[in-house]
Amino acid sequence: MPENSKQPSDALAIAKTAGVSLNPLDPTSRFNASKLKQFTNTEIVIAFILFVTLVILAVFGSFLQTHDPMQGDLLKRFAKVGEKGYLLGSDHLGRDLWSRAVAGLQWSMACALTANVINLLIGTSLGLMAAEKEGWARTIIRQFTDTLQSFPFLVVAIVVVVIVGHGFVPLVLTLGLGAWVVFMRVVYAEATSIYQRDYVKAARIAGVSRSAIMFGHVLPGVRASLFVIFAFHFAGLLIAESALSFLGIGAPLGVPTWGNMLAESRQYLLKAPWMLMVPAGAIVLAVITMNLVGDGIASLSRKRGRSIDV
Amino acid sequence: MTPASNTDAVLKIDNLALHFLGQDSIVEALKGITMEIAAGEVVGVVGESGSGKSVTALNTLRLLPRTKTRIPHGTVSVLGRDVMTLNEAELQKVRGGDVSMIFQEPMTALNPVLRVREQMFDVILRHQTISPADAEKLSLKLLSDMKIQDAERVFNAYPHELSGGMRQRVMIAMAFSCQPKLIVADEPTTALDVTVQAQILNLLRERARATKTAVMLITHDLAVVAQLCDRVYVMYKGKIVEQGLTRDVIGKPQHAYTRALLNALPEGKKPKSRLETVAASMIEGQAAVAAPVAQRTTVQAGFKLYGRATPLFEAVGATVRYPKKYNLLGRAISYQTAVNQVNLSLYEGQTLAIVGESGCGKTSFANSIVGLVPLASGELRYKGKNLRDHDELTRREVQIVFQDPQSSLDPRWPIWRIMTEPLTVGKRPSRNELRETAAGLCEMVGLDPNAIDRLPHEFSGGQRQRIAIGRALSVHPRLLLLDEPTSALDVSVQAQILNLLLDLQEKYQLSYLFISHNVAVVRHIADHVAVMYMGQVVESGESEQVLTRPTHEYTRTLMDAVPTLERAFAA
Repeated sequence: MPENSKQPSDALAIAKTAGVSLNPLDPTSRFNASKLKQFTNTEIVIAFILFVTLVILAVFGSFLQTHDPMQGDLLKRFAKVGEKGYLLGSDHLGRDLWSRAVAGLQWSMACALTANVINLLIGTSLGLMAAEKEGWARTIIRQFTDTLQSFPFLVVAIVVVVIVGHGFVPLVLTLGLGAWVVFMRVVYAEATSIYQRDYVKAARIAGVSRSAIMFGHVLPGVRASLFVIFAFHFAGLLIAESALSFLGIGAPLGVPTWGNMLAESRQYLLKAPWMLMVPAGAIVLAVITMNLVGDGIASLSRKRGRSIDV
Repeated sequence: MTPASNTDAVLKIDNLALHFLGQDSIVEALKGITMEIAAGEVVGVVGESGSGKSVTALNTLRLLPRTKTRIPHGTVSVLGRDVMTLNEAELQKVRGGDVSMIFQEPMTALNPVLRVREQMFDVILRHQTISPADAEKLSLKLLSDMKIQDAERVFNAYPHELSGGMRQRVMIAMAFSCQPKLIVADEPTTALDVTVQAQILNLLRERARATKTAVMLITHDLAVVAQLCDRVYVMYKGKIVEQGLTRDVIGKPQHAYTRALLNALPEGKKPKSRLETVAASMIEGQAAVAAPVAQRTTVQAGFKLYGRATPLFEAVGATVRYPKKYNLLGRAISYQTAVNQVNLSLYEGQTLAIVGESGCGKTSFANSIVGLVPLASGELRYKGKNLRDHDELTRREVQIVFQDPQSSLDPRWPIWRIMTEPLTVGKRPSRNELRETAAGLCEMVGLDPNAIDRLPHEFSGGQRQRIAIGRALSVHPRLLLLDEPTSALDVSVQAQILNLLLDLQEKYQLSYLFISHNVAVVRHIADHVAVMYMGQVVESGESEQVLTRPTHEYTRTLMDAVPTLERAFAA
């Protein structure tokens, strides 16, 4: 057992550092109830509940809407929260804000999720390729990543929308092809260190193929971090999508998304502040949820990581 | 020197127990220990990992977080003051003032962004009221006391600009800077080369004598204790099992554990004899170790003999270079030569050891054999064929075992998958076949075959090294490269692994290329020895010949530097 780290973070680690044997061969230590309890805390429970709620709203949203999100009733404009049968009030065209918020959730979630998956695939592949070995591939990928990151994303997005036009697909592609840098960087950093471990050397010496090493040793090694970034990045994409829609270069006008709702609320800020509150609250809630989920996964994998002794 | 009387004790620990509080468990790290250190005394605390020796050291300065530990009973007093009752501010005065500490790894103990100057000033000015000019004079004197020739340069250097030995000298100079009464040294030389270790230990002893400072030396190395300490405490599982004058304890050990520790040392034993291991019942976590090297014909059948007519492995003028500088186009324009014109040969069933200090090129040489780095010139021949071709057969027959069993096993894989990974190359054996093979390999290396579904972290260091050896054996190799296979292990575990290697060699006529800096281990296991220094083999031959009657200057320096029990008693 190595004895050189003198600032361990908890009693178990200290006991280990100081060389106290914790009986690693206790056969019951892998799965038991106390382990499960140790892995959950209030934060994780809250994150889980919020996340499940969001998913239910996104999937079964159509059944939960009380009105048609597109159909307004001009006689019932600017209804306050809870008035005239509107759960969260109505907007300047008499459309139900609750139903629009749910529709916006579906739109935003679908957009962020698709873009996130594209980000994940591109970032992870490039990160793994760059990490595997030194050479021109690594140089090109790293230079490309740096270049992409130094471009102002908003300008790129505006250019794309001007050329391709509004809509779900252009928006998803803009986000999907433009925002993978964080995945690439994290995967590259972690994979590089895994590629230097002795078990990867041993596999190379034994003649294990490059792909078997990549998918057998390296990818599983970065998996925990990928989950964490996926959750955090999801929150970032939700905001980005709303921001682009707010600026009028995201979702097409009229489509009920949070960004569009925010944009519409601007003119009626004093008259009907709930028009702002509802989409803004929805964004805050969704982003907090995804951040909590990210934290939860991170703390889970940290705890697991400790017992794995990576 | 006799054990200190109560009055002049610098450190007095009385019936101390210490528990670590885990999430839902309590680990009893110390179970009532009593020890005393008098002024000017050098006292060794010996034990293997898990014995509680480092906990004792850290607790002397109350360096363990109070919320995570509990002290059911006992007292620790430094110079008559009970440190358990001091608050943090008072402790600050004790730490670095009356008591200072030297850690194992000087790179992490020194602040990398501050010069030596600032770090020494920090300690000196905190505990003494002197002017910066005087502090500088004092620092330079302390550094030159540590036999640092260019004290001026070291004083103005950053830690990364200094070598490991130089950094440790700086640490010791800092430890002595405030005229402490007690220095706690936790494995101060474990991270250093043998020749550097010898210098550092001598300096530590010399300075302690000159300044009448008491030293508490925490170590696992009995030879170091024998050479350096007046008295010794032997710790085992949180208790002191034996204490007394070094000469008595090591010369006539009373407790079974001390005897077992001494017997586990390869030093002074007949070469290739099986070492006594500390009885399995005495070591925690050894339950899964079955009887050593059992039979299982399915695995055994694959080992094919080559014969001793010609060398199994030969290096002819092998040279390894690393690029040092690149031109604009990324081409290397100057090189650092790591291995220079090495000629060696190894016959089947024999062991060739390569001895040398860090940076001598021994690991680069090993890496070139398995194809991790290319040869710049020369040739490596295996069974008469050039190894560069690395056809599948040679790749299978030459396997490697790494030094650090933590990093050589994928923490996410169950051990059956780890041990059989080389078998999956180019083939897809069924899961059951692989598990069956893994169980056989477990028996070969002395592990419980029922443990194949466990993950590496569930095994101890020695068991992990067994797993790594099992993985290497899975493809029926003829030549095993062993890169410091025991240097990360405790003495008793080292003995078990050495025994296992000897058993396997006898049974399957394996050849070993054994890379090590530990002369005692090499003497025990090797038939032939090659001493490497700055990339070159400076001396080679029969191990008995080279290690007892060295002819090259460097070999002699190396042999003299190794702390041995024998020499300690002769002195």
